[in-house]
Amino acid sequence: MMRALKISLAIAAITICSGSALADGANTIVQSGRAFHPGEITIVHGTALDFSNQDEFIHQIYVDVAGFAYDSEEQEPGAAPMHIIFPTAGTFSVRCHIHPKMLLTVHVK
Amino acid sequence: MHTRLSLALCLSLAFATSAFADDAAPAGNDSMLDQGMAMFDSGKLLATGGVSQLEGAGGGGLATWALISGYGTRDGVGVNGHATYVGTGDYSLWSEGAAVGLYDRVELSYAHITFDTEDVGAKLGIGKNFKFDEDVYGAKVKVIGDAIYDQDSMLPQIAVGVQFKTNDRGALISAIGGKSDHGTDYYIAATKLFLEQSLLVDATLRETKANQFGILGFGGDKDGDYSTQFEGSAAYLFSRQFAVGAEYRTKPNNLGIAREDGAWDLFAAYFLNKNLSLTAAYVDLGNIVIEDHQHGVYLSLQAGL
Amino acid sequence: MKIKKLGLALALTVWGSALSIGMARAADDPLYQDMGGKDHLSKIANDATDNFLADDRIKATFDNTNMDRFRAKLSEQFCAVAGGPCTYTGHSIEAAHKGLHLRNSDFNAVVEDLQKAMDKDGVPFATQNRFLARLAPMQHAIVTK
Repeated sequence: MMRALKISLAIAAITICSGSALADGANTIVQSGRAFHPGEITIVHGTALDFSNQDEFIHQIYVDVAGFAYDSEEQEPGAAPMHIIFPTAGTFSVRCHIHPKMLLTVHVK
Repeated sequence: MHTRLSLALCLSLAFATSAFADDAAPAGNDSMLDQGMAMFDSGKLLATGGVSQLEGAGGGGLATWALISGYGTRDGVGVNGHATYVGTGDYSLWSEGAAVGLYDRVELSYAHITFDTEDVGAKLGIGKNFKFDEDVYGAKVKVIGDAIYDQDSMLPQIAVGVQFKTNDRGALISAIGGKSDHGTDYYIAATKLFLEQSLLVDATLRETKANQFGILGFGGDKDGDYSTQFEGSAAYLFSRQFAVGAEYRTKPNNLGIAREDGAWDLFAAYFLNKNLSLTAAYVDLGNIVIEDHQHGVYLSLQAGL
Repeated sequence: MKIKKLGLALALTVWGSALSIGMARAADDPLYQDMGGKDHLSKIANDATDNFLADDRIKATFDNTNMDRFRAKLSEQFCAVAGGPCTYTGHSIEAAHKGLHLRNSDFNAVVEDLQKAMDKDGVPFATQNRFLARLAPMQHAIVTK
């Protein structure tokens, strides 16, 4: 019984993880017009956000709060999307070093 | 003389005041006037529209350049009016007109030239202060290159153009051996700014039948055909506002009654701002009819956008 | 065999000279000296940037720009273009300007603002033009409209 529960939990975890690793539209943020679209999103902790640069500018992503620091490489327009996994609950501001007015607010449950 | 002077002053005052006028952008919808005025983008760098040469086209004083008049960039339009006085030993000349620059590609120009024979008129038996009047209509098209931006290439800015000229003294022109009282000049100009040396250089070839720039008609008893003439300028930029230079222009020798020489000048051009500029030169036009070595002053005031 | 050796020696000499000329340019380019060196070029870049931000014609272009980063990259670029021992680490000129849809009048406004800065920082006019001569061809990459 415990073994079956462990296996099903494992399967569930893998499913969730693979599900979030795929470019699920609901978890995709588009950079265009030097802004994040949408500008605010709510996700479950452990899921990934994909950032797709569909702008005419090179972008970058960083998060700088207590407990979660992330600083990405630069992203050329049209490059493969970047993934950020938010491991803990909370509210995080995602910004771009090059374009200071870009702000994405992520609520992680 | 007074009328011309006041015209020149009015022209310059009109545009100079616009230089100091408040440029606050209107709030709300742009009126048609605002939209019209916005076409004059005044976007070119100072002095890069050239000045107005004698026959009204954009250039130096004597030579026509490949630059398009006015301060409009390729996204807009510009205009440049001129009032020019030339006084040599025995004659005087006035040229007034304007040139419009369209999208830094096409230039349309007009000049009215009056040549005053002063006392020579009396000597010639046609009357003291006898005047020849000439209208010059010009069109120029930039073909290739950019004199300012192409600093990494030897390619000059090249333009081709025409100047249609018509003179009001048909009968007299005929009497002195001229073939026609109107004619068309065709030219190709190559102009380049060598920023590395702060030097602007122009070389232009002109197909013409014009006697004394058309003042004494077109073609003559000695030669009734087109001939290829050369004109060129070299100018050194001392500052954004001030340039000095020299020019040379060859002319045909079509009339038997009067030898015609090449003309040259040494000039200084001062650009107060994008609305007003002044050119002063020592000019030598050579022989004009019975008077030799006609040299003196060239003064030109240009106003525009 | 002799000709082959001679040819090889000649090629190596030419290549070596070209390399040393290139290296010499970086070390003692007269323009870099005449522009006052790295710190002075940095001052010029900063004064020019101040002018851009005060220029109604173009200041909106910098609306969403990290100005600290811009000033640093511009200083690098001026130093490199003047022939100084600097490496420009910014984006390619095309990539940096493509999205701004700039016109010739925008480019010329920048030139005028740079000229004002060089005037203020005591660069002689002839030297300014030598510097602008190296920047002018960037118009092709910067102006896309």
